[in-house]
Amino acid sequence: MATSNTFDAIVVGSGMSGGWAAKELCEKGLKTLVLERGRNVRHIEDYTTALKDPWELPHNNRPTNADRKQQPIQSTLYLYDQSTKQFLVDDTKYPYEQAQPFNWYRGYQVGGRSLLWARHVFRFSDLDFEANLKEGVGIDWPIRYADISPWYDHVEKFIGASGENPGLPQLPKQILQPPFEMTALEKHIKREFEKAFTDRRLICSSIAVLSREHNGRGPCQGRNQCARGCPYTAYFSSNGVTLPAAQKTGNLTLQADSIVHSLIYDEAKQRVTGVRVIDANTFASTEYFAKVVFLCASALNSTSILLNSRSARFPDGLGNDSGELGHNLMDHHNGGGATATYSGYLDRYYKGRRSTSMYIPRFRNVTTREEKFKRGYGYEVYSGRGNWTRGVGSADFGADFKNEITRPGQWNIFIEGYGETLPYHDNRIWLSHDKLDQWGIPRLNISMTYRDNERAMAQQMADDAAEMLTAAKLENVKSFNNPIVPGSVIHEMGTARMGRDPKTSVLNGNNQVHAVPNLFVTDGSFMVSSPTQNPSLTYMALTARAADFAVEKLKRGEL
Amino acid sequence: MNDRRAFLRGASVLMGSAALGQVLTAFAEAPRKASYFGDSEMRTLRTLVDLILPATDSPAASAADTHYFIDLAIPACASPKAQQTFRAGLKSLAGIQRRKPDAQVAALKARAAQDIELDYDSSFFKILKDYTMTGYFLSEIGATQALAYEKIPGGFKGDLPLQPNQKAWAI
Repeated sequence: MATSNTFDAIVVGSGMSGGWAAKELCEKGLKTLVLERGRNVRHIEDYTTALKDPWELPHNNRPTNADRKQQPIQSTLYLYDQSTKQFLVDDTKYPYEQAQPFNWYRGYQVGGRSLLWARHVFRFSDLDFEANLKEGVGIDWPIRYADISPWYDHVEKFIGASGENPGLPQLPKQILQPPFEMTALEKHIKREFEKAFTDRRLICSSIAVLSREHNGRGPCQGRNQCARGCPYTAYFSSNGVTLPAAQKTGNLTLQADSIVHSLIYDEAKQRVTGVRVIDANTFASTEYFAKVVFLCASALNSTSILLNSRSARFPDGLGNDSGELGHNLMDHHNGGGATATYSGYLDRYYKGRRSTSMYIPRFRNVTTREEKFKRGYGYEVYSGRGNWTRGVGSADFGADFKNEITRPGQWNIFIEGYGETLPYHDNRIWLSHDKLDQWGIPRLNISMTYRDNERAMAQQMADDAAEMLTAAKLENVKSFNNPIVPGSVIHEMGTARMGRDPKTSVLNGNNQVHAVPNLFVTDGSFMVSSPTQNPSLTYMALTARAADFAVEKLKRGEL
Repeated sequence: MNDRRAFLRGASVLMGSAALGQVLTAFAEAPRKASYFGDSEMRTLRTLVDLILPATDSPAASAADTHYFIDLAIPACASPKAQQTFRAGLKSLAGIQRRKPDAQVAALKARAAQDIELDYDSSFFKILKDYTMTGYFLSEIGATQALAYEKIPGGFKGDLPLQPNQKAWAI
């Protein structure tokens, strides 16, 4: 608990971005208060399910009817089970309004969703940063690859990532440990792609999972139970990596169960002076003060806090001179893909459970221009030999069936496109000031839909997937194009976008609120477009960059 | 589908029922006393799980207390409709344990043929098979004797020769 209410810096949120803000600010000598709305989760000690065998998990690993009642949204998540449900919110406690269906998956605890993420870490390139400008979509990013490149280096060196640099301009070179090995089928596909295509490659994904030891962490033990918390610290999380680094400086005060209601704005100074906090358990209100505030509460929650921070100067939400606060919400879409089987390589198998995918980098709209849609997609690729679950749906049973099903089955492959979504002004969030939660905070409304560009892209994702698996000489190739509920990819982006012009954006190129120089927002809300690549690495890099900028300005007395 | 863990079921099943898509792991501790089903239902169930997964080079389903697992999991995890379907199915096969082995197999085959076309919640055989397999193969006996299981594999090797008579990984 904080012993004084005044700090040099306050960071709201302790997840992917908040952990990085904490580490950077603490290491630069700032006394930093990190406020986390959820409970504390201590690294390793509180990973209570991490080493459970399947038969040790309470009441089996299948969600119960009671779980689904308590977590109707969260329980639809692909990784939800008895071993992970403790890191996802109780939906009945944290209601929100869905003006359009939106699956909002949330991890309210120290570490946030850095405990649960799928760990893919690709860099954005200038293909991404220039796309809006070149196509006349939304507004231009205020930064280019050269601005962020050293910060990607900085982050990759610290978090430790593994993977394969494909040498493609759309996936800039990264600092990576050696990749995890391909299976026999993946090696086959890689070879066939080389024969069939000039623009399509199969590589190992860049992933924040250690294939080698790094700073006393890891390497990965091949359990693929990451979302339970890793006892080997083999994947990057705030709990295991950035928060301990911040702690080591002696400058960190980490306070859990502290819900930020709003920011305190001083009109005379034209600065934020602190935050209003409600204790999640006692409901007591406290104010904390600092010279600089970093909002890292996740895209939708950081914007909610800004929208709920109203004053005479900012009647529509703090920093909302542009009217863009809450607008331009994005998520990726992953409805298009294909499955196939392969009857060869029956003499090859694997050992251990790899916690990453293989990857087919974006090839659409890279060097040529598509007519049907803007932007592109990459594919996550998963392969393996059938296990006992392949027999669940059949009518067979008995000794022969059991003998068959307990041996490795044929090879299967599943590939799924992850596509870019354009920023649409009316995909947005707003607050219902007449509907308060139990802490007196207005409920969030979400309205987001995919449009023609995403639908056309999804069909191409499915068609390309089938074409590629066919070209790789696989069997039983079946494409799919499933409707996706926004939010389902768990990459909420936008709602407080960066930009050059205060009239059309909330933040400048340093993640600084245009009209409030000592307020920074460095989670997914800053996104101006939604490049194909998974976004967390960019949140981390821009958080570190903003922290560096903020501390320099502070030193010069310019905040 | 959006299920990164589903691909091992194979392409055909992958596109199938969402209810079947849930991976079930096994019971924590199996009490010897059933809590949901009655004694005669448990006798029927024991026979049925052993018809699905009999003793081979590994123990039968009942040796791993799969019927007790089902007794716990059906009321907790199955939908109300699936619970009804399951109970009615047990009733219709009551007394199967007293029939000759060939007749037992024939009765379950007939049931499977009839049920396989039905949706999951209406299909006794699908529910029975789902819970039997997930209960058994993720029990300690099922995972370590019928299948291969490594709690901590120590890393990942992607491309190894298959060993003679090698069992498939449990997870």
